[in-house]
Amino acid sequence: MSDRVKDKDRTWIPPMEFDPAKAVPAPVELDSAGPLEGEVLPPAKPRRGMGAAKLLVGSLAALLAVGIGFDTADMLARAFAISPILGGALAGLGALTVGALGVIAGREWRAYSRLAIVDALRTEAALLRAKAGHGKAGRLKDRVVALYAGRRDLRAAKDRLALAVTDAHDDREVLDLTERTLLDPLDRAAYRLVIKASRDVALTTALSPAALLDAAIVLWRNARLVREIAGLYAARPGLFGSARLLRRMAENIGVAGVAESADTLIVDALGAGTVGAVSAKLGQGMINGLLTARIGLAAMHLCRPLPFAPDRKPRLAEIRKELLSLPKRVL
Amino acid sequence: MRVARGFLGDLEDAGQRAVDGLAQLATRLYGGELRLGVTGLRRAGKTVLVTSLLDNLLKAGRLPFLDVMAQGRFVAARLRPQPDPAIPRFDYEGFLSALTGPDPVWPKPTSAVSEIRLDLRFRPGGLVRQRLGGIATLTLDIVDYPGEWLLDLPLLDQEFAHWSRTTLELSTLGPRRDLSRPWREALDALDPAADADEATARRLAEVYTDYLKACRSNAVGLSLLQPGRFLEPGEMAGAPVLTFCPLPPAPGAGRRSLHALMAERFEAYKDKVVRRFYREHFAKLDRQIVLVDVLSALNAGAPGLDDLERSLALTLDSFDFGRPGLLSWLGGARIDRVLFAATKADHVAANQHVNLKTLLESFLSAPLNAVRFSGARVETTALAAVKSTETVLTDYQGQPLACVQGVPVGRDAPTVIFPGEVPANRGDVPAGAEGRFDFTNFRPPKGLGADGRGLPNVRLDQALQFLIGDRLA
Repeated sequence: MSDRVKDKDRTWIPPMEFDPAKAVPAPVELDSAGPLEGEVLPPAKPRRGMGAAKLLVGSLAALLAVGIGFDTADMLARAFAISPILGGALAGLGALTVGALGVIAGREWRAYSRLAIVDALRTEAALLRAKAGHGKAGRLKDRVVALYAGRRDLRAAKDRLALAVTDAHDDREVLDLTERTLLDPLDRAAYRLVIKASRDVALTTALSPAALLDAAIVLWRNARLVREIAGLYAARPGLFGSARLLRRMAENIGVAGVAESADTLIVDALGAGTVGAVSAKLGQGMINGLLTARIGLAAMHLCRPLPFAPDRKPRLAEIRKELLSLPKRVL
Repeated sequence: MRVARGFLGDLEDAGQRAVDGLAQLATRLYGGELRLGVTGLRRAGKTVLVTSLLDNLLKAGRLPFLDVMAQGRFVAARLRPQPDPAIPRFDYEGFLSALTGPDPVWPKPTSAVSEIRLDLRFRPGGLVRQRLGGIATLTLDIVDYPGEWLLDLPLLDQEFAHWSRTTLELSTLGPRRDLSRPWREALDALDPAADADEATARRLAEVYTDYLKACRSNAVGLSLLQPGRFLEPGEMAGAPVLTFCPLPPAPGAGRRSLHALMAERFEAYKDKVVRRFYREHFAKLDRQIVLVDVLSALNAGAPGLDDLERSLALTLDSFDFGRPGLLSWLGGARIDRVLFAATKADHVAANQHVNLKTLLESFLSAPLNAVRFSGARVETTALAAVKSTETVLTDYQGQPLACVQGVPVGRDAPTVIFPGEVPANRGDVPAGAEGRFDFTNFRPPKGLGADGRGLPNVRLDQALQFLIGDRLA
């Protein structure tokens, strides 16, 4: 609507008719996306002192690679000197190793870049939602759909989405429709995963005999939950992807809008305290379960290709209820 | 409704509404019943809206923003015999075949009240209700009545002298000045304090009715026309309640004067026509959608916009707002949600829909704030009951320009039209803006709804979600 500003200086466009042959059917970008007004995105974290560490790791890795390379070449030369057959076999093994490494690296890179794509999609969607324009969300929607290109379980949802969106919908409506049609089944599945994981953690830590075992269970189950959710929304995040995801989670667990805030954490603790009066072990289980739920919900926020619309944010309340009913069933 | 006079009538209303309230209590226990009123200002397309609404609910394929559909809880809808045998049935089948026939045309506008009943079956969303009973049924009655009847309701608050004064003042403004000349000349020629004479009264009423009809059919298409029943008298044609007109004040007029006779008939009109409509139709409504043709008002320039603003303010007056608490609920149904919808949104490119909505809202802004403060839910939206155009981009002086593509009424080949930019605000419409807008009417495209998913529409689902969505939860 940048035209309206100009309108005041009598540069309005009079009503007129055009040749249909020259018209373009689909609404595409009308004007370039400007900077977002009024919305504060989290600033990039300054990385102090990381340069030296990176240099160290990089140079060590390079030394190691070169060392291994020299050793291998040396070994191959000696093997060929002994017998060409032995040399050939060893050379084949070496090629296989390199090939496998390459495949793994490729996969990791793909998984990692998929997470980056999801991040970019989410940022752009937040921008479009804030601007409430028209004609730009269609391509974003297509990119989200492309993210799920190979998913047979979402085919019906994708078909419904394609039928639902028309040229009359503005950006917010297109995003809403994508959320409601395509992401809704995923949201529900992810929510079930979170509930299941937090119940598992609550129960097993309540029953486990040693504190160290507790910690191990919580860590393992949380890592698995995050991987499951990431796999559900985008793709298996891979090793580096997982590490990055976990780091982002650690950064965001307090901030990233899990709908409830600090006061509910107090309520959680109090609720667990009440249960704890009955059994210290159960209380601990509850706390661990709620922690897992929090991590799960944060993972949902971070892995979803679109940000949650305000009224669709997942809530801890249901999970808390589920957990509070646990003691009844266990005892 | 604050009613200054007619205490007995009020009492009767209250009794009637108490009975209605009890009946409603009973129906709520075994299911749900909801009465949705549809009315429109300025030939806004009520008939098309109701047709499209029914078609889309029956076929359930094109309402993604209606939660019950999006969540897959909707089972099916079916037309049912209506509850009031005396009211004409909304001719859904006829209107639909006009729209979807081999040579599609817009249905002929209707002029009186009509009704249709629809049963919607759905699985309740709440856990408790889901476990209680498998499938719930919402009975939706859609009552379609002319916007003029709605504009009559504020008459209940007015005295004859007051109404005469404001109507006379209004008749000298803008395009009304010329249209009302014969009637005002006839008024000047007589003495309202003289003895009443049936022939004179009849002649005056006829001239006044002609003036109202001229206002409506005029290119400007005015909508503030009181009393509304003069335009569509139906079975009341020629009855004394329709044989009056506003008169200039007549101090010292006797009891047998023309002024007294007209005042008496005005009161009779209030009692027999307006109050009856209020009691039999309006007071029973739960939800209301008011359709407004903002685009044709823009086409008409300043007079059209002024008329629209006046009509909308009067319309808002008519609603008895407030949250239905227990007491008011027993006192009868009350409208607790009203949607003002700018129709024919498909006549402008989709990127202007936001402006259309904000423009309509700016017409209502002052009263809307008061109403929202009182807790009632009033929304505005821009919608198209039947989408008859596509938004396309074309090139204007090197810049892309969003236009609409469709077949204009009276032509056969599709064309691309830029009809002007809808201003975002009432204040943005400069004086002398004529020539800035030329919103063209389009024909319904061929093969509408051939895919069996219901008539294509713009934001009908969001309107329905606001109007009935909470009862389908």
